[in-house]
Amino acid sequence: MNLYKRLLFSLTIFTCSTCIAQNDTSRTTKKNYPVRQVTIEPGLGIHTNAGTDLLITNLVQWNPYKHLSLASHTSYNINNALQRNFNGIQTNYNYSINQKIGAGTTFYTQRSAHTFLLMAGLKYTSFKESLVTPDLDKVSSLVNSVSPDYGFMYSLKKGVNKYFFSFRMYVPLYPWPIKDSNILAVDGNMNNVSLEFGVGIKIN
Amino acid sequence: MKNITVLIKRLCIVSIVLMVLFLNSCKKVVFDFSLTKEFSIQAAASGANYNIKVGLPLNYNSSGAKYATIYVLDGEENFDFVANECRRISEKYGTKNVLVVSIGYGNDRSIDYTPTKVSSLTGGGSQFLNFIKTQLIPAIEKNYNVDTTRDGRVILGHSYGGLFGGYVYGVGNKLFGNYILLSPSFWFDNLVSLQFEKDNRANNKNRKQLVFMGLGEAENYGRMQAPFEAFYQTLTKHYTNIKLTKNIVKNLDHLGSKNPNIVLGLDYYFQNR
Repeated sequence: MNLYKRLLFSLTIFTCSTCIAQNDTSRTTKKNYPVRQVTIEPGLGIHTNAGTDLLITNLVQWNPYKHLSLASHTSYNINNALQRNFNGIQTNYNYSINQKIGAGTTFYTQRSAHTFLLMAGLKYTSFKESLVTPDLDKVSSLVNSVSPDYGFMYSLKKGVNKYFFSFRMYVPLYPWPIKDSNILAVDGNMNNVSLEFGVGIKIN
Repeated sequence: MKNITVLIKRLCIVSIVLMVLFLNSCKKVVFDFSLTKEFSIQAAASGANYNIKVGLPLNYNSSGAKYATIYVLDGEENFDFVANECRRISEKYGTKNVLVVSIGYGNDRSIDYTPTKVSSLTGGGSQFLNFIKTQLIPAIEKNYNVDTTRDGRVILGHSYGGLFGGYVYGVGNKLFGNYILLSPSFWFDNLVSLQFEKDNRANNKNRKQLVFMGLGEAENYGRMQAPFEAFYQTLTKHYTNIKLTKNIVKNLDHLGSKNPNIVLGLDYYFQNR
């Protein structure tokens, strides 16, 4: 629980500090493309593992230069949201909290911006399962784990106004190849590829 | 600004080079071809043809002290890794190596490895166990210098293979004395394999057993952890003559945890047999 509180506290501080880091929040390029300095992009998403995880996410992006992007990504995941009772096995709870920061670059087109980021951070996962079959003893299993979380993120901003459409895709580079170079470990990556959609807000 | 652009470009190049190096490290390791014997057996009941590979120890001796055998499910995927690890671990402990018997696919694995029928692609477990008991084991024990007691036989399976291993623990316990059960799909058909263990406990509980159970910590689909723990606790509680351990591989998922657990499972077997 302490870890959980510390993580939440750290996330809040980091997000706030990123938000207030800049006063000048917007400018235009020579071709009038929107080069936003600070954006907040809340969204909802899924993991690609059959889409059973629901993600509530937020990306805070700061572009100090046209082609330099810094970002903070926070995600609260309700894992296995749709199947909490399966074959006599009850999921009591199952969630993850991810916090990553990263840097990358942004390319601009007429009405959109494409950002490619290398992200790194931590993932905290907690879940509990119990057997609820009358013929068998009631047994529960509890997992609390912290793991590294790094990978590539692609972020699309579509629209030139204060509010714009936001899409993100995150491809983790953990556990493969960092923890285990055996290609079988890539299932851990594939289960955590995420797709997120939302409305972004330009901060003035 | 130019410096930053150059830095980003360099980072991209370094990332690509690293990825290529890592991809290169994914090459499959093959077991010594000269020590591998291969043949096929047609199952009398189903007519399915099983490709069998036997990995012999270095300097295999066809007479003298008998070798133990490890029967590997999903053999087409796991044989080379298991055979190489057996050699490495037995050399590490300076102990006699084993024969590794790979059971290839005759039917769909979901038919052969599941004990009960819940769809057209499940429920061939008892027939497959019968094939192992009446055809495969006799063939191996006739042609190779191996231990013919249950203490000399190990069964190793992952996922549905682990489920089948758990099923064998319950209903075929006379056949195998050693079990390496990796990410077993005990959730199958309302935990039926746990029920098989319970139903046959009275007959099995006084036999000598060696069981290694392995799982991945990231297997959080609401079905893997609790049955795994229940099976482990049941064995701890009800079996007095058992060598039992479990391992949960940190941060790895269903497939990723397989090879690390194979290594630990074999290590546990070689140390405690």
